[in-house]
Amino acid sequence: MKNPFEAFHQAGIRKREIPLDKILKSKEETLTKILSGYEDLLKNEAKDLVWLMQYSTVIKAYSIAEKGMEGLEYTAEDIEEFCYALDHSDQIPYLITGPAGVYISVLCNHAKEEEICLHLRDLNVKINLLGYRLPSNKKLIVEGNVGDFTGIGLDGGELIIEGSGKNYTGAGMKRGKIVIRHNLGFNTGHGMTGGELIVGGRIKGLGKIVGGKVYERDQLIFPTEGIKPLYV
Amino acid sequence: MKNGHFQTRIRGIYKYISENLYLNRPDITIKDESFNSTLLFGLLTGLNRGKELIIGEPGLGKTTSAEYVGSILYRYPLGVIWGSEVSGHPEQTEEKIIGRPHLGELNKGRERVVWSNFAQIPVKIVDEINRLPETKQSMILNGVDRGNWEYLNEILINDEYSLFATANYQDRGTNTIIAPLIDRFDILVESRHPGSNIAYTIGKEALSHNPLRHPQYEKELQQILRGDNSYEEKMALAEGVCDLFGEYLKEKLGIEGLSKEERRKINEERMGLDFDIDANAFVRMTLAELSFCHKFGQKRSVEVCEDGCHYTGYLCHHTKNCASNRLPMSIRNYAQTLAWFLEDDGVDLEHIRLIIPYALAHRIQWKDSYLSKKEGEGRNDPFQIYLVKEATEEILQRYNEQREYLLEALSVGYRAVAGEAITPLEGDHPIYEEIKKDIGAKDEKSL
Repeated sequence: MKNPFEAFHQAGIRKREIPLDKILKSKEETLTKILSGYEDLLKNEAKDLVWLMQYSTVIKAYSIAEKGMEGLEYTAEDIEEFCYALDHSDQIPYLITGPAGVYISVLCNHAKEEEICLHLRDLNVKINLLGYRLPSNKKLIVEGNVGDFTGIGLDGGELIIEGSGKNYTGAGMKRGKIVIRHNLGFNTGHGMTGGELIVGGRIKGLGKIVGGKVYERDQLIFPTEGIKPLYV
Repeated sequence: MKNGHFQTRIRGIYKYISENLYLNRPDITIKDESFNSTLLFGLLTGLNRGKELIIGEPGLGKTTSAEYVGSILYRYPLGVIWGSEVSGHPEQTEEKIIGRPHLGELNKGRERVVWSNFAQIPVKIVDEINRLPETKQSMILNGVDRGNWEYLNEILINDEYSLFATANYQDRGTNTIIAPLIDRFDILVESRHPGSNIAYTIGKEALSHNPLRHPQYEKELQQILRGDNSYEEKMALAEGVCDLFGEYLKEKLGIEGLSKEERRKINEERMGLDFDIDANAFVRMTLAELSFCHKFGQKRSVEVCEDGCHYTGYLCHHTKNCASNRLPMSIRNYAQTLAWFLEDDGVDLEHIRLIIPYALAHRIQWKDSYLSKKEGEGRNDPFQIYLVKEATEEILQRYNEQREYLLEALSVGYRAVAGEAITPLEGDHPIYEEIKKDIGAKDEKSL
């Protein structure tokens, strides 16, 4: 008699692959590459788990991160996945918010999408340096609170924070727009030379501003009669 | 199976009928395409030489849909189809259905059979089959099943035929269709009401002249069928007239039917389509639930299992009868034809999921307790189709839950039958018991 199970000769070793499996696999591969780039950055820049926030270190970290992700194909969703991996995953040996922020900024600045929305409300840590050097063709929306040095060196892009930021937001920004829905800390706009910084809530303190405009609760607070740009 | 040439023609026929002759709503969806089930299954029946039972309220297009499909697909003018239909009524006789003695020849002392048009042409329509008394239903059993028509000492064997039968819902004039006859139908569909808006249009646009009529070719075909030639010669001559009618359809209506040779090619193509591993395993799982009985070895309509059986949650507990071997054949034929029509590379779960309810609805005998439990539920389909659609979804859910394990069990089954000393997999479904029986790991006598 013919074997009635002939069709299942190889069935036990074949697994069904549905389109979702392929999508998940590709997502996983992308995330692994992004994580590996971040780990390389840490190895180079934070050998002793210490990262000093200095002008030169940020520039160096940015260029290392740029090199690390050359040729990498990813989407805005992958950036968000990376943020959550930073917060939850045991794949990341350590989270240092400075390099992490520089790395995320590089990812955002080089993403294909012109508009990127990161849903970071559930994140336990507040990432620093988000929106660093955001170029003029990009719009970055962050849902949730962010850390220090948000939007520094902004280069024409539009950064919207649906939450609060901390100190040195918009420091050194050249052009573009930063919108903060809630509050900001000290030294806001320190060294900024252009662009607009619009804050829906309160600002604890402004830094030494060179140029541009700062609004607090719809009121222009820089430049005003009392506070003039440094160069005037 | 992407040759596309024939499929485009069949889609053209579907479109023409649905837009001009049998106006109705789509009621089934497969692979993002919606179809009207009566029309789609009518076409599939014509393509795979199947047998379809169409149920529904009087006047909702059961017979006309079959007539249109048969006429265009086989290129027989509508008048010939009408002239070959058999009407079910209590006074119906074998002589009107199958054939009669040639009276002239009989007077000369010679026996010769004059075959009915119904027995001869490949499109067979039995109108209101459930008005045939049960004793007379037996007369057409063999013909319906194999295309063998016997009268006196002569036999006529159809090498190709499709059968469409219609049945009204039960009323004072109807009889029960006997179990052996109902099992011979591959598919059951309902011709539904098209809805008030489309129904209004039907009344408004009723045609004075049916475009599928052609009096001249009808006369020629009648003459051929009445003639003294052998059956094979008659069919060859008829095909010539069908070719001419086919040309007429193409020219006047822009639709192309199929020649006998083309129908043969299509059949060959669709039979070449294999079931993928999921479709294969899912059909086995369904058949296991429909034929397995833990207590009595298999389902038998005379033996009723009790409550408290381990397999109470499965279909076998809600049904009385056992699935016949015609069921997998019907599923196979229709699933292959559907896959062919959709130009898919093989038969997959989606095809099977669509076909099973229609192939099973008329064959399954539910327990009264189950019917009472389900009859009040809201639904769109007739009760018998609804029950099987629900059951199919339940089995599919079980399949998805157990898929990997079941495939492993079937693979182990293969190795065991091939002679390897291997322990069959245990599982919580009748299919695992059936696998054990097939590999001889379960001694049925010990039960």
